[in-house]
Amino acid sequence: MPVRRVAVTGLGVVSALGNNLAEFYRSLAAARSGVRRLPDDVTLGSGVQVGALAAWDAAAHFKGPEAAALDRVSQFALTAAGEALTASGLVAAQPAATARERIGVCWGTGMGGAQTLDAAYKSVYGKNDFRLRPLSVVMAMNNAAGSNVAVKWGLRGPFANFSTACSSSAMAIGEAMHAIRAGRADAMLAGGSEALLTPGMLAAWQALRTLSPMDADDPAASCKPFDQRRGGLVLGEGAAVLVLEEEAHARARGATIHAFISGYGNTCDATHMSKPDRDGQVRAMALALGESGLAPEAIGYINAHGTATIVGDVVECEAIKAVFGDAAMRIPVSSTKSMHGHLLGGAGAIEMAAALMPFADGIVPPTAHLERPDPACAVRHVALKAERGAIPRAVMSNSFAFGGSNVVLIAERA
Amino acid sequence: MDTLARIKDLAIKELALDPAKIDPNAPLAELGVDSLSFIEFMFKVEDEFGVKVSDEDLRKIKCLADLERHVAASLPAAGKA
Repeated sequence: MPVRRVAVTGLGVVSALGNNLAEFYRSLAAARSGVRRLPDDVTLGSGVQVGALAAWDAAAHFKGPEAAALDRVSQFALTAAGEALTASGLVAAQPAATARERIGVCWGTGMGGAQTLDAAYKSVYGKNDFRLRPLSVVMAMNNAAGSNVAVKWGLRGPFANFSTACSSSAMAIGEAMHAIRAGRADAMLAGGSEALLTPGMLAAWQALRTLSPMDADDPAASCKPFDQRRGGLVLGEGAAVLVLEEEAHARARGATIHAFISGYGNTCDATHMSKPDRDGQVRAMALALGESGLAPEAIGYINAHGTATIVGDVVECEAIKAVFGDAAMRIPVSSTKSMHGHLLGGAGAIEMAAALMPFADGIVPPTAHLERPDPACAVRHVALKAERGAIPRAVMSNSFAFGGSNVVLIAERA
Repeated sequence: MDTLARIKDLAIKELALDPAKIDPNAPLAELGVDSLSFIEFMFKVEDEFGVKVSDEDLRKIKCLADLERHVAASLPAAGKA
């Protein structure tokens, strides 16, 4: 039986770089950072000074009381999913309920409805007020964002929610691709969202000593992946969604195909809860390449995990060199986290969206602020400015998570 | 403003009900209010009127008129709205 090819027919984004795909791509192309000094009511006493906060007005996206029943993480999810579905034309083309039994949702998030939890804790522990909103549970639960997406568009096919920290939504895309390949669905909405910029969450991250201090001269440049001056990651928020669709299904309705997802590698380091392991990353990249059937040289851009931690960036570059050998010095690599921040559960999806950018017009997004590359991170960097070149045959996106989960995705041009 | 009018206003705001179509005697389901939305709405009603509705009483409320009767009976008698 021939392999069912999985097309990308729609994309949607909410981020500090803009609340739609076009703005997101424009920002990446211009190397514009969405990182900034966080307002005092977000940081409180956490000591965290910078983050990539989305410019978000719920009332602009939701009518009347609708927004109040949705945690920010679900608001992001619904908005990005709406953009992706509209762009793909999928729901418009599939009105029948029976057809929607063949369309599913795979979602990823690290912390789910963090703001709802924060509000509840504030009430219980801060005010000794145990009278919590009745919707607290369904707003905070980890599967709320994906479920809200399924409910909104009546997507009645396979549903799964992944919570593997920073690889969550990359896993959602990989598993959604496999669901289509296996014939369990004709189309899947695959993506992820995160909205955990709350004082408590920031304090927890700060305690881990993994966040970058603010760049005093230029707060927007606080996240410096692969740079000698890097000091850690910068947290972000937002959502990204891909509409994945079996090729013949997409072609039958005349949909525009942006790319094909053809490789998915999934491994676990099984060595440490936070320290990355080169071998686990190498195996994930090799598995993704193996599934795609592509030679390493076919990869024309790697969107790195590149969180800008001291250890993480070095290990990833070593892993890339181990997999690609000499070609590692020819394949453009960048970490777009330098601009949109680390979306954690949403990172895999938003970085897949960034990785697909060269397919549109050959523009490869850069690692912003990379002025002094660390010799220990010697790969072919796209530093400071986007590069325009030929449209690559294929691209790779890496997502490596706390807990040791490694997910690598490969997409091919349409 | 009387109790029913306040409940109606709250329902328009919190449940996005059409002011022209609110029938206080219509079953809530007919107004498009599901059980989850209703429980969240009751939370707001309790805040608005400073009352507490027990689970047992909640189950007896089938329409906004039932709700109004219940709230009115729960309100302190003198001088308070």
